[in-house]
Amino acid sequence: MNFAYTPEQESLREEVRQFIADNITPEMLQEMEESGIRRRGPQVDELYKKVSQKGWIGMSWPKEYGGQDGSRIDQYIVEEEFARVGVTVGGAGSGAPAILAAGTEEQKKYFLPGLIKGEIIFALGFTEPQAGADLAGLQCRAVRDGDEYVINGQKMFTTAAHYGTHIYLMARTDPDAPRHRGISIFLVPIDTEGITVRPLWTIQNEPTAPLGTTYGERRTNEVFFENVRIPASCLLGEENMGWYVGAMGLNLDRVGASRYLISVKRDEDIVNWIKENDLDGYSPAEDPAVRDRLAELWIEAQVCRLMTMRSMSLVEHGGNFTYEGAAEKVWAPEHGVRTTETIAQILGPYAQLLNGSEDAIEDGIYAHNLMGAFQSGINHGSAQVMRDQVARRGLGMPRG
Amino acid sequence: MDVIPNEEEQMVKNLAREFLEAECPPSLARNMEKDEKGYPPELWQKMAGLGWLGMSLPEQYGGQSLPLTYLGLIIEEVGRTIAPVPLLSTVVPSLTIAQDGTSEQRQQLLPRISRGDLIMTWAMQEQDPRLLPETVHLEARAQGDGYLLSGTKMFVDNFVVAEKCLVAARTAPASEQSQGISLFLVDTGSPGISATALTTLAKDKQSKVTFDQVSVPASNLIGELDQGWPVVQRMLDLATALICAQMVGATRKDAEMAIEYAKNRVAFGRPIGAFQSIQHMCADMILWVDGGQLLTYEALWRMDQGLPASVEVSQAKAFCNDKCVAAVRTSQIIHGGMGFMMEFDLHLWYRRVTAWSLRLGTTFEHRAKVSRALLDQPGKVRLGMTMAAVP
Ligand SMILES: Cc1cc2nc3c(=O)[nH]c(=O)nc-3n(C[C@H](O)[C@H](O)[C@H](O)COP(=O)(O)OP(=O)(O)OC[C@H]3O[C@@H](n4cnc5c(N)ncnc54)[C@H](O)[C@@H]3O)c2cc1C
Repeated sequence: MNFAYTPEQESLREEVRQFIADNITPEMLQEMEESGIRRRGPQVDELYKKVSQKGWIGMSWPKEYGGQDGSRIDQYIVEEEFARVGVTVGGAGSGAPAILAAGTEEQKKYFLPGLIKGEIIFALGFTEPQAGADLAGLQCRAVRDGDEYVINGQKMFTTAAHYGTHIYLMARTDPDAPRHRGISIFLVPIDTEGITVRPLWTIQNEPTAPLGTTYGERRTNEVFFENVRIPASCLLGEENMGWYVGAMGLNLDRVGASRYLISVKRDEDIVNWIKENDLDGYSPAEDPAVRDRLAELWIEAQVCRLMTMRSMSLVEHGGNFTYEGAAEKVWAPEHGVRTTETIAQILGPYAQLLNGSEDAIEDGIYAHNLMGAFQSGINHGSAQVMRDQVARRGLGMPRG
Repeated sequence: MDVIPNEEEQMVKNLAREFLEAECPPSLARNMEKDEKGYPPELWQKMAGLGWLGMSLPEQYGGQSLPLTYLGLIIEEVGRTIAPVPLLSTVVPSLTIAQDGTSEQRQQLLPRISRGDLIMTWAMQEQDPRLLPETVHLEARAQGDGYLLSGTKMFVDNFVVAEKCLVAARTAPASEQSQGISLFLVDTGSPGISATALTTLAKDKQSKVTFDQVSVPASNLIGELDQGWPVVQRMLDLATALICAQMVGATRKDAEMAIEYAKNRVAFGRPIGAFQSIQHMCADMILWVDGGQLLTYEALWRMDQGLPASVEVSQAKAFCNDKCVAAVRTSQIIHGGMGFMMEFDLHLWYRRVTAWSLRLGTTFEHRAKVSRALLDQPGKVRLGMTMAAVP
C-alpha cells in the first residue's frame, strides 16, 4: 500500500493548478454559469480547446485514439483540480469506456479523438419513462432492416440531448430474449430524422444554480424516436450484448473525481467559510456542536476520498470491481446529503437564499445544493440499487 | 497512490490468518475469559517464534525491522480471531522504547520482548477518562538517585501478567516549556504497587493500579525529564492506530458471520438474506468496515513513513468507534435472539469491539482533535492535504 502521489503526479497537479489560475477567469465562470445550455460560450470553448491540447482529456486512453496512455490516477488528478473550480473536464461519461472496450477500430478512431477535442458530445439515452433504476425493463425498440436499424420509442432525462452530437442509446433488439440479453447499444447522430428533443425543466431553473452545485442542471430532456433510421454501423459491440457493454461503462463512470468531489467539496467550502466569516458576531467555528458535527463529516469525507482512491487503484491494476464502485457510489452521494443538510442548519435561514438574492452566502450554493444533493443518490445507479449490488455481487447474498 | 495491499502485504496477512485460525478457535477466547492470566503462554511463545513480537523492532535487538503496516496487518488478524494475547500492550511500549529509550534500555528490553520473554504494558489514564496531559496527576518526586511514584492509574491492560509497565507521571506543573510529564519504566512487582482487577465488558484483564511511594531508579526514565508528553502522545497514537486495526479485523469477521447466518436462516419461507432490508444492512456493515480499514491503513502507512499522522489516527478511531460498533450491533440484530445467548459465539466479538471503542479515546475526543486541526489554524483546508495536529 502507498497513500502518496509520485513526485511526477505532484508536479502534474501543480501544473494543472497553475493552468487554472492562468486561464480560468471570473468572466469565464460567469459565462459558464449564465450560458446554462452546455455551460459553454466562446471563452469556455477556447478553454476546452487548450485543455485538450494539453493532453488532459482522456489521458488514460491509448495514444492512437488521441489519449496519452497515461495512468488513471493522473487523469484523476486533472479531473479533481478542475472539479474544484466547478468545471468538468473529460466528462465523456460512460460512452468512452464502452467504445474502448467494445468498439470497432473505425468507431474508436472516429469517436475517441472527437470526444477529446469536444467535437463529439454524447447524450446518455438509457432511462425511459418506465425504466429508471430498473433499466433492463427498457422498451425503446431497434429493429434490423437490411443495412439499417429502425428505432421507435421514448427516452427520459436525456440531459445532454439539446447540445450533444450523438445519443449513446440503449434499445431493445430482441423482445423475446431474457430481459438482459435482448438489449443493444447504438451511437446515434442526434440530427437523424425522426428524433424530437423536448425540454424538461428542473427545480434548479430560475434562478440558475451557481457552478459547482450538486445537480445544478436546470434542464434535461425527453427524446422521442419515430421511425428513426440509422446505419447498422452505429451498433456498438455485438447485437443483444448491449447490457453488458453498457453496465461496464456505467461501472467505470460511477467512480472518479467528478462524482465524489462534488459531494465532499461542501465540507471544504463550509470549513473555509466559517473560518473567515461570522454571522453578525456568531461564529459557528466556535460552536461546540458545530465543531463535533463538522469533524464527523470531515472524517466521512476522508472515507469517500479513500474509497475513490481504492477504485482508482483497482482500475490501475486492470481489475474489475465486484462491489467497490457501488460502495463509492453509496458513500459519496449520501455523505454529500448529510453535509448539505448540516450546512443548512449551521447557516439557518441564510441557507434559503438562492443565487442572486440579497444577502445570499456564496451565491446561494448551499440553498441550491439542498435542491440537488439528494439527486446524486438516485442517478447513475441509485443508492438502493448500489446496495443491492454490494450485497448480491459483493457478498453473494440470494435474490429475493 | 495504490491503496490495495501489495503481494507481500497480502502474504503477511494470509499467513497470520492461517496460523491464527488454526490456533485460536473461539473457544480459546471464551476459556481465557475465565483464566487467571487471560492468555495461553504456549501461543505467546509461538507468536514470538513467528517473529511477530519483534516485527517492527530493529534487527540488532532481535527484531525484523519490518514496516509498521505489517504489524498492523497482523494485529488486524489477531482482532479477527479475537486471539487472547497481550500483544498490543507489549508491542506498543516496545516500539516506544525503540524510538525514545536509551541504547542501554533498548539492549536490556527489546531482545527479551522479541524472544517472548517479557510482557509489557503502559499506564496513562487516571480517573479522568480523557487522554490529555492535564489528566495526569500521578506524581514522581525526585529522591536520591531516583524517583518516588504516588498516585493511581486506571484501565491498565494486562497488568496482571506484565513484568514491566511504562508509566506517565507528573514531574512538574505544566508550563510554557513543557507539560511537566515524564515517562518511567516500572517493574510491576515493585513494593508499593497494588492492583485491583476490573470486571469488564470484554472480560479482559484490566486493572486499577495504585502506586504508593514506588521507588524507580533515574535510569528508568524514558526520554527527557518533564518532556515526556510528546513521547506519550506518539505512544498513544501508535496504540490507537493499532487498536483500530484490531477493531477492523474483529468487525469484519463479525459482519461475515451475520452474512453467512443470513444466507442460511429461513423466515417467511426464504433465507432472511433474500430480504432487501437485511441485504442493505449487510452492505452497510461491509462499507463501514471498509471505511475504517482504509482510514486505519492510511494512518499506519503515514506513521511508517515518518509523516505526521496524529490527525489521521484520530480520524480512524472516531470512525471505527462509531461504525464498528454500528456494524457489530447490526450483526447482532441479524442474528435475532441467538446472538444474545451465551452458548453462541457472536457475543465474543460484540463485547470486544464495543469495549475497544471505549479505549484509547472516545469518538468525541478524536473528533475534537480533528476539529481543532480543521478550524483552529489559519489557511484553507483541502481534503487529502496533511493537517498538523493542534494541541
Ligand atoms: C437531473 C437528471 C439528469 C439525468 N440525466 C440522465 C441522462 O443523461 N441519461 C439517462 O439515461 N438518465 C438520466 N437521468 C435519469 C436517472 O438515471 C434516473 O432518474 C434514475 O435511474 C432513477 O430512475 P427513475 O427516476 O425512473 O426512478 P425509479 O426507477 O422509479 O426509482 C424510484 C425510487 O425507487 C427506488 N428503487 C427502484 N428499484 C428499487 C429496488 N429494486 N429496490 C429498492 N428501491 C428501488 C429507487 O432507488 C428510487 O429511490 C437523469 C435524472 C435527473 C434527475
